[in-house]
Amino acid sequence: MTLIKDKQIIDDPWCYLSDGHALKASHTIIDPDFWHQNKRSLSGASSPLGLMIPGDQELAELANDLTYFSLIAIHIPTFVDGRAYSLAKLLRERYHYKGEVRAVGDVLPDQAHYLTRVGFDALEFTDHPSASLALKKLSELSVCYQPG
Amino acid sequence: MYLYDQLDQTLINERVEQFRDQTNRYLSGKLTEEQFRPLRLMNGLYIQTHAPMLRVNIPYGLLSSKQLHALAHIAQHYDKGYGHFTTRQNIQFNWPKLEQVPDILAELASVQMHAIQSSGNCIRNITCDPLAGVCADEIEDPRPYCEIIRQWATLHPEFSYLPRKFKFAVSGSPKDRAATQVHDIGLHIKKNDAGQIGFEVLVGGGLGRTPVIGQTIADFIAEEDILSYAEAILRTYNRFGRRDNKYKARIKILVRETGLDKFTQQVNSEWQAIREGSLKLSQDEIQRVKRFFAPLAYQTIDNDNALIQDLGNSGSFRQWFIQNTLTHKQTGYQVVFVSLKSPHRAPGDINSEQMSGLAELADQYSFGQIRTTHDQNLALTDVRRADLYPLWQQLSKLDLATANIGTITDMICCPGLDFCSLANASSIDIAQGITDRFTHSAIDTGKISLKMSGCMNGCGHHSIGEIGILGVDKKGEQWYQLTLGGSDSHQSKLGDRLGKAIAKDAVVDAIDDIVQVYKANRVDNENFANTLQRIGLQPFKDKVYDAD
Repeated sequence: MTLIKDKQIIDDPWCYLSDGHALKASHTIIDPDFWHQNKRSLSGASSPLGLMIPGDQELAELANDLTYFSLIAIHIPTFVDGRAYSLAKLLRERYHYKGEVRAVGDVLPDQAHYLTRVGFDALEFTDHPSASLALKKLSELSVCYQPG
Repeated sequence: MYLYDQLDQTLINERVEQFRDQTNRYLSGKLTEEQFRPLRLMNGLYIQTHAPMLRVNIPYGLLSSKQLHALAHIAQHYDKGYGHFTTRQNIQFNWPKLEQVPDILAELASVQMHAIQSSGNCIRNITCDPLAGVCADEIEDPRPYCEIIRQWATLHPEFSYLPRKFKFAVSGSPKDRAATQVHDIGLHIKKNDAGQIGFEVLVGGGLGRTPVIGQTIADFIAEEDILSYAEAILRTYNRFGRRDNKYKARIKILVRETGLDKFTQQVNSEWQAIREGSLKLSQDEIQRVKRFFAPLAYQTIDNDNALIQDLGNSGSFRQWFIQNTLTHKQTGYQVVFVSLKSPHRAPGDINSEQMSGLAELADQYSFGQIRTTHDQNLALTDVRRADLYPLWQQLSKLDLATANIGTITDMICCPGLDFCSLANASSIDIAQGITDRFTHSAIDTGKISLKMSGCMNGCGHHSIGEIGILGVDKKGEQWYQLTLGGSDSHQSKLGDRLGKAIAKDAVVDAIDDIVQVYKANRVDNENFANTLQRIGLQPFKDKVYDAD
């Protein structure tokens, strides 16, 4: 995986619990089930915690928990599934979420520009060439009609 | 009409280069077909039966003569010398070469045109009343609002990967000439008691496999709120619309499965959160766009003698005048429909010579503007009545003066099996058969809307034709399902099935039977819909099926 964060390729400090990493490691991304089952123990943790949500996540259910997370990853099962775009927009504008919002899953370099415009500041790509191309794609369109 | 500023031009120029890169990557194998598909569709490019098809937007159906000249050039230079106008006021080119499409887009950009979002699961071209600005019954010109919505929808970062396509239509008159009830969002301009301009908003209409008439979701949304309200609907749809089955992914299915009341609550709750935000339109912005659509520089004319004399001199001209023109709100002017339903071409088709010729006539007679209509014709909407006769003569030379507007030969027809990879049956040859049968009796038969689609996707709007024809595939053979009594007026209605599907070689005779039953039963000048309502389907069934 190659990560773009704030329009630069960087080494990813995060890992996924689902990949078998021990929770003790700092910067672990968990899923909502794991969060709900272990909320009490996790909410006191001092190391940064991330949460990966699916496209059909009801954000209102998480509204009070967002402060526990330094990162929200939104899973995109296929690149034509546009729900993540609305979720990111809502996270930023409705819930004023200031942490990292990361696009994970089937993401095309051609989508990088729109993804960053709706609030994603981190994009995961399968390889370095895709991420490099995505960086170029970020500056293809210099103007837009929509405010904000 | 609206003219691009620096921002508009920069945006479409950059979009051309973006698409050029995508095309090159696809051609060099760096993008898979699966990855390229949504990207090319979002730029109007289909891969059809024989070749790619490029659909070019004509926002709310308004073209300048310069733009029509450019379309003529594109047809001539990149295609086989003709184009096809669609029911959503766009034009399609059926034979471009994939590697030349970026060049075509660059030529379009040079005349302020594009193909952005003319296909794909995103917000499509915004359509409106072809008589906007010239009809006497108008509450307010819908075009400035269409342009405002067009800009908001263009390259919208959040709504480019919707569950399915999404279509807007806007009407500014009580009489709906934009088929707003069969669009995902239909907007009807109205004024409230305080004289403020706003919109009745309809949602969930659509044709295709599951035809549905749109329902009112809001009685009055003030003009300054229209973008935030549209954004609330789109966001609700983008989040909750079905993505598991493309045939159930349109907003009409979401509205049906959620229930209109609950869907309305979801939209309103979203809207309240964003209503006072950055999408609120200022009067300055509304007025800025409205200035582009200010009334044309009409002359004061109080003398109709020339026209009266011309009408007296030529029966053919008189027939065309009655059939193909309409009263204008400005005294001394007339609206002229340019029929694209000549017996010599497929419905909606026009060749480059005709396009160039018509562009010149628009310059000479109609302020250099041309409209496209949702029934696949064109219009010169601002012609001095004294100029009608010379205009008619020149239109006749171009084979653009077939006096059949509103008649059975003025049919809506999709490209069908001859071009489209979705179609089950051909439509162009059926259209030709109907045209041949009725060309000489069409005017006498009166106004009948006949609409034909080559498959249940319904691009030819068969569900809302007074006579609807739907091509179906039965074990590899082409059959046709007939419906009667549909309507696309302000009270849209879906047609009722006449009976079992009819074999291809019997379709024209069946249509003839239907017309004969109507003619035999009509009282005075009763129209087809009223006769059908009075006598019911049975006499038509008897004639069509007993004749077997």
